[in-house]
Amino acid sequence: MTEQLPAIIFLVPFFAAVMMPMIGMKNQDWCRPVALTALAVMSVTSISMYAGIVSHGPISYAFSGWAPPIGIEWIADGLSGLLIMMVSLLAFVTVTFAGPATPAGIGGRIPYYYTLILLLISALSGIVMAGDLFNVFVFLEVASLASYALVGLSGGRALISAFRYLILGTLGAALYLLGVGYFYAVTGTLNMADVATHLPELLKSKAVMAGLIFMVLGLAIKMALVPLHGWLPDAYTDAPDSITPILAPLVTKVAVFALIRILFWALGAKTVIQDVPILLIVSWLGAIAAIVGAFLALSQTEIKRLFAYGGISHVGLILIGICLGNQTGFAGGVFYLINDAVMQAVLFFIAASVFYRHGIRTVTDLVHIRGQMPWTTAALVIVGLSMIGIPPTGGFFGKWYIILGALDAGNYVAVAAVLAATLLTLAYFVKIFEYVFFESTSVAKHPASEIPGPMKFSMGALSAAIIILGLVSDQVVTLILEHALPRGLIT
Amino acid sequence: MIYAHDSLIVQTLSRFIIPLIQLFGFYVLFFGQYGPGGGFVGGVIIGTSLIFGVLVFGLDPSRSAMVNRVLHGDGLGLLIFAGVGGLCLIGGGEFLNYADLQIPGMELATRRYFGILLTQIGVATDVAVTAISIVMSLSLTEKNEEPNGPNH
Repeated sequence: MTEQLPAIIFLVPFFAAVMMPMIGMKNQDWCRPVALTALAVMSVTSISMYAGIVSHGPISYAFSGWAPPIGIEWIADGLSGLLIMMVSLLAFVTVTFAGPATPAGIGGRIPYYYTLILLLISALSGIVMAGDLFNVFVFLEVASLASYALVGLSGGRALISAFRYLILGTLGAALYLLGVGYFYAVTGTLNMADVATHLPELLKSKAVMAGLIFMVLGLAIKMALVPLHGWLPDAYTDAPDSITPILAPLVTKVAVFALIRILFWALGAKTVIQDVPILLIVSWLGAIAAIVGAFLALSQTEIKRLFAYGGISHVGLILIGICLGNQTGFAGGVFYLINDAVMQAVLFFIAASVFYRHGIRTVTDLVHIRGQMPWTTAALVIVGLSMIGIPPTGGFFGKWYIILGALDAGNYVAVAAVLAATLLTLAYFVKIFEYVFFESTSVAKHPASEIPGPMKFSMGALSAAIIILGLVSDQVVTLILEHALPRGLIT
Repeated sequence: MIYAHDSLIVQTLSRFIIPLIQLFGFYVLFFGQYGPGGGFVGGVIIGTSLIFGVLVFGLDPSRSAMVNRVLHGDGLGLLIFAGVGGLCLIGGGEFLNYADLQIPGMELATRRYFGILLTQIGVATDVAVTAISIVMSLSLTEKNEEPNGPNH
């Protein structure tokens, strides 16, 4: 049964998504429990699969029973197992959170909301487990189509942002597909492991280089890497509050994961470290993204837009860590990816909560939550500390390992970029904290009004997760180092 | 809302043509395992015949409860597809490995044949329903009436 788990993890949310319109036709109230049950089952399954991977080694799943180079292969190894766990748990917590805020934000399209969310989650799990370049494209498209629809679900202004997202996202997918086409033309295979065996003798080929550039460019649009980030702030700002917390942590991070898979598994660590300067290019782009994203965040007045730019900056940090080419940097990058997903979820939880209770959209209005929303304020402090990188939060240890890796690699530009991004992050959080704690207010005190139970539970759980990730960072990084590393990384 | 075409010639001719298109669609669907074709193409052809019918004979969604049901039934085809795949899982094989479909008294080749056919029927259903539901959604939004769900 264990060897069937990858398919089961994908099928559970997929079945639920497909059935959702029919359930919604009978009774809309059943949609939410069914969706939550599906995501809970998925979470439990993915945890048990990861436990299996750690004790028995990776699972390779051949669809329809056709052996890998010819058939479609899914890989559940230490890295994808970890990511699947992250995706399913975050999805469960976010859907729990979004319950009370959902109907108002999306104009009563309840069955559609749950269908699209579950479809998004199953597609993301498909990207994570795919061991085949074309499968990554297919699920990337499914996930993107679901995200476009989710962003535009509330209608009005969001439709324009969703349309921009659609145009740019489709361009990204087309570039990626073009790159896959070049690879297929040269190597004659789509399976990542098979591509890796064929590539070393084909590196002189210009088609391989062109394909690689197209693939990286396509994924860079999907992960909103500066300067291709134009779609993200508008899309995340205008998307309904019940939807941003699920898009922000998962969609861009899974695109980063797809890039990791392609660079280190399809091309192979040896190729990208020694033969092709792709790691250098991506890490420079990451350094630019980390600084520019944080700099742009500094000048924002809308809360959701500010957090969106913060996310852009953190994608840069993850890329810096991963592209150092040594084990510490890689583990740090992956650990920071997980942390960043949790932090993004909490940030958009906060943005949703302050709007839900007080109608606050701008940073200056945050004075109104002082003394009113203790849970939200506590979560804001914790996530702020983690975004800046202060122990004992997870964000600190992620940055710590990235900097250690950069020092090992002798890459002082990367160290400087991480530190500069940290200072800029500190600056924009000081701005937020100033309004929450210090700015004098003339507004009459309302009676304290906290958010409803499910929202409180989700926010508390993820804020606790930030601190727990910091406390167990040693163990998590050891797990990554032992089970999730690509072959051939420098120690 | 789409009104019926008022030409008698068009209406009479389409009465002949639509069944022919559908027959061809089913042929492509069933022939798909041995030659060019399959669920997707067959579904597109069947969907086209349905759209043709809607354009010629008109459609008033407010009168027909079935239309609303169809709009929510997009997933039925996918459910058939994933369901047959899931049955293979229960039989102990990989997803969509038809050799492990547990149908008593059937040879391996026949099991594979029926497995592929069933999943292709699922795909065809989904493609046809999606095609027709796109047309219906567009014809509904013209009246500023969105297919929001059953309770609206």
